[in-house]
Amino acid sequence: MKRQLLNRVLFLGLVILGLQACKKESTGSSTVYLPVVEGYLMPGHALTIKLYQQKSLSDTAKYGAAISGLQVYVSDGNTKVLLTESPKGTYTYSDQSFLAEGKTYTLQFNYLTYAVSAKTVMPGKPANFATQYGSVTLSTTTTSDPNASTTPIDKLTWDNPDSLNHVLVFDNKDGADFPLSSFGGNRAANFVLNTSRASYYNLTQATFAYYGHYTVVLLRVNQEYVDLVKSNTSNSTSQNLANIPTNVVNGYGIFTAMQADTVSFNLL
Amino acid sequence: MKKLILAFLFTGFGCTAFAQQTQKILEKTNIDHFYTCSLDLLLDSLSSNYHLNIVFERDSLSKFDLAEHFFNESLKAVLEKVCGDNSLHYWVESDGTIYILQNTDDLARLKQLNRLKQTKLSNIKPLIEEPKAPPMHYLFSISGKVIDQTTGESLPSATLRIRNTNLSSSTSSDGNFTIFNVPSDTCVVEASFSGYQTDYIRLNAKNINTELLFGMYKALNTLNEVTVLGKKSGVMNTDTKKVGVLQLTPASLDKLPNIGEKDILRAFQLMPGVGATNESSSGAYVRGGTPDQNLVVFDGFTIYQVDHLYGFFSAFNSNAVKDVKLYKGGFSSIYGGRLSSVTEINGKDGNHNEANFGVDLSLLSVNAFAELPLSDKSSLLMTFRRSYQGPLYDKIFKQFNTSTTQGGPGGGGGGPGGGGFGESTTPASHFYDADVRYNYRMNKTNSLTWSFYNGADKTDNSRALQIPSFLSSTTGDINITDYTKYGNTGSSIKWFSQWNKKVHSNTYITYSSYFNDRVRSTAGTSTDSDGNTTSFNSGTAEKNNLHDIGIKSEWEWQVNDMFKLLYGGYGNLQKINYSYVQNDTSTLINQHNSALSGGGYAELEFDPTSKLHIQPGIRNTWFQPTGKLYTEPRLSASYQINDHYTLKAATGEFYQYMNEVTREDIVNGSRSFWVLSNNSNIPVSEAKHYMAGVSYENDKFLIDVEGYYKTLSNLTQYTIRQTGMGQGTTNTVEQDFYTGTGKAKGIEVLLQKKLGNYTGWLSYTLADAENKFSVFGNNYYPADQDIRHEFKAINMYHYYRWNFSAVFIFSTGHPYTAPLSSYTITTPDGNTSTSFNISGKNALRYPDYHRLDLSATYDLIKINGNKIGSIGVSVFNVYNHTNIWYREYQLQNYAAITTDVNYLGFTPNITLSLRWK
Repeated sequence: MKRQLLNRVLFLGLVILGLQACKKESTGSSTVYLPVVEGYLMPGHALTIKLYQQKSLSDTAKYGAAISGLQVYVSDGNTKVLLTESPKGTYTYSDQSFLAEGKTYTLQFNYLTYAVSAKTVMPGKPANFATQYGSVTLSTTTTSDPNASTTPIDKLTWDNPDSLNHVLVFDNKDGADFPLSSFGGNRAANFVLNTSRASYYNLTQATFAYYGHYTVVLLRVNQEYVDLVKSNTSNSTSQNLANIPTNVVNGYGIFTAMQADTVSFNLL
Repeated sequence: MKKLILAFLFTGFGCTAFAQQTQKILEKTNIDHFYTCSLDLLLDSLSSNYHLNIVFERDSLSKFDLAEHFFNESLKAVLEKVCGDNSLHYWVESDGTIYILQNTDDLARLKQLNRLKQTKLSNIKPLIEEPKAPPMHYLFSISGKVIDQTTGESLPSATLRIRNTNLSSSTSSDGNFTIFNVPSDTCVVEASFSGYQTDYIRLNAKNINTELLFGMYKALNTLNEVTVLGKKSGVMNTDTKKVGVLQLTPASLDKLPNIGEKDILRAFQLMPGVGATNESSSGAYVRGGTPDQNLVVFDGFTIYQVDHLYGFFSAFNSNAVKDVKLYKGGFSSIYGGRLSSVTEINGKDGNHNEANFGVDLSLLSVNAFAELPLSDKSSLLMTFRRSYQGPLYDKIFKQFNTSTTQGGPGGGGGGPGGGGFGESTTPASHFYDADVRYNYRMNKTNSLTWSFYNGADKTDNSRALQIPSFLSSTTGDINITDYTKYGNTGSSIKWFSQWNKKVHSNTYITYSSYFNDRVRSTAGTSTDSDGNTTSFNSGTAEKNNLHDIGIKSEWEWQVNDMFKLLYGGYGNLQKINYSYVQNDTSTLINQHNSALSGGGYAELEFDPTSKLHIQPGIRNTWFQPTGKLYTEPRLSASYQINDHYTLKAATGEFYQYMNEVTREDIVNGSRSFWVLSNNSNIPVSEAKHYMAGVSYENDKFLIDVEGYYKTLSNLTQYTIRQTGMGQGTTNTVEQDFYTGTGKAKGIEVLLQKKLGNYTGWLSYTLADAENKFSVFGNNYYPADQDIRHEFKAINMYHYYRWNFSAVFIFSTGHPYTAPLSSYTITTPDGNTSTSFNISGKNALRYPDYHRLDLSATYDLIKINGNKIGSIGVSVFNVYNHTNIWYREYQLQNYAAITTDVNYLGFTPNITLSLRWK
């Protein structure tokens, strides 16, 4: 009697085990075929969209393979234009007057079985972008000041009554030739800073890794762009991995409009 | 009259008096004699001279010869001398019989011999006195207390039974009991408790009006009794009336394999329904719940941090613990404030009769205790445990402190402890905990207990640097402060009062605090070549602390044998501070929240027949931050079909008012904090439990099958994420609140062999736990703690003074999220940005987790049969199976590198445990 009961329990257990073993779990792996879109819409520049495939995890190539031979359309709400491909995977529309403030642009194309689309609004041009100093010379005393990271050396200002998103792009004409410190490390010569919807930004010595002649571009950007640069999954664990936000439907990457203003700043 | 009192006293103590009498004879009788004979003849002569019943095997003992002169030595010393010389042990049973044993396992055989001998002589010495008078009282109630005779410690969950009837009861956590409708004042009350000899008291007209006191003697450490009791069923145990209750006696924990420390919370993980594969958390993952949904109550106060050493050990010292219960769900309305389960831990009072000291040594820690009777009425227990940074500690520390693992070739991670830990400094790190319990018995019916707990983990990597002058033109000092500290302090004062036979109460004033600090800063001064001195301070300080002050009163009123009423009230003030300061100046997070809450509960235990038990309850809590009243109805029931089968079920509604939060920090390890629910973004979460089960139990086996279904709503995932953008910028902190729902279901099967040389149990759990948070999509996904199959086999074998155990654990791998592919785009500054395309939330599973742990323990036994310690060897993960904790992904040269971070591999340990008494 006891043994029978035991046998029954064990048998039941085995049956349950067997049933469960047949259940396959889905990984949602179809997303690996979605295209990657790279499109920055700036008035004064030709409209350019680059399309890539995704890369396998072990791929050391910089970009994924270009996606070629598609019919890529961009509409500004009234006119829908077909982009021309040149070179492979890069689709352009050369009429610069197509991009104008306040218009909503929609990207559309079909890839494999996916209808891919994305939408963005062209923001206004930033106004009154200025720098407190055009040039700052760092003395040896200041370079070794341990409070360097908090002492401002220059202030950048612009109008921002509506608390819009702006980012600052630093482009060093001298590249990584003159490092600030012998502990330089591997920081890039060019970089982007988020201004957190403020109307100024204090530059400190710690902002820079290299001396040089900088072109500082103030970009008025949309939220989708801030979302992208704020997230960074390049160093994560399986415990906190999350997809980087994208505004592309049935795809990855970014399709966003922005407007720029520029000042120069020399760090000597 | 005096004689009467004496007679009454004698009977009051029941048969415990026999053993005491024998002990007294052994100590008080002096022997002045020269013996030259074989051992059996000596024992015969002692037996007849001093009217002692000494049982031994004549065949073997007649071989031992003896030539010894005793000069006025006590009988006890004589016995110890002759036994010690011939490697024998003597053992005094509670009926006063002395057994001479070659091996402790001989006791059962000798007992049989004793019975045979007495039957043959038709001279059965009555174990229980005959009734003195014909019955005079009928259908009355009795009450009393069960204690350990040697230490005076009260014994909770002991079983009381009226012989030859179905009447039974079990003791409360204070050792008290009541039995109703006792048929007559000539009945025999029998008290039994695991690890103790059964004790009897014959009722009479006098003692039925007093508190019956059962002083139980420990049983000789022979048979392996299963220490973790699954819901016991059968006539004699009220545990039948509860669903999903696990109980554990820490005293026998040394029979299970352990790495470093006997661990009460780890032991529960060997039972069905409690996840066993989270080496990084000793918190309880009960039935698809998370550790922060498990209420841990120690002597009445809540413990918020149950881990030591990255979760590898629980914060409770088993030497300070008398008894632990885990309610796996559908728990009584006495408890509230958590969604999943309750772990109730009761501390030891300490020895009331004599001082006792002990020490446990392992490769990981030193653990010492002292039990001191301060006066007739008070006793003190102190325990202290501290880890030392030996090889075992370092191994575990490094395994769980993986922040230094960087780079390295992809694919499979290195073996445990193998490579990758290129730290130039090993931080000083340790954990400790201390318990103090002071017990003061004001009178027979009132007692006060003060309990204090303090424990912490500290990792300190602070150091001072001197800036070498050749590196820069300045000189100065830099002090790097880098430490992580977390821990608990808790204290309670409990007033126990037995108002009358039927009503008793426990009233508590409680305090509990928790802190978790992480400070990383660089401070100092620098002097440049011109002699100008600048001071500086940069870094981050993250501090979380919680204070919880409470008062509660719990009452029990045994109305009659059909109704028992449990009721009480409680009030709490909780304060949580959380600050996150960067560079001494910018405060990223600064939260000060407090919450008042209070309420009451009432529960009825209703037994319409001896087989049916129904327990409805209700709990009402007012929570100040939301200003709402939360009502939690509860119901549990059991029905005993016959002597072997019991059906049981429970349901209820549960609310939780605070959550544990994770701040993700990829580089330095994530941190957990507690936050309070509020009226805006952190809702009060809610769960509903439905559980049912059937159990079969006979003398040797227990089979228990339980199923559960739970729904959870208003769950919060609250993450604090540091978002740095670009270099050289001040980090900003973004707080994200996600609200979601969950559900969990499962079936648990337990097959337990309770008696014999071979004991143990098999446990199988089929479970499913899912969550739905809109941030991860519109569908349910496997919760982080979801495990489909879990199989555990616990085997213990007793061979004379050896105990061997083997624990095998198998479970389906945990779910995880992985990158499927990557893509790179150019950013407007000309750099590139590479991102992962992520699989569905928790869509993949790690390989199955399994491991085997082995241990062998040798008992150290004194000549008089008392166990005074043990030596144990245990091996964790014997076949060095690689179990994955989590995966790390890094981008290098545009390619993703996957590194497995693994749980502990093959780890041996040695423990030595010694007791003074």
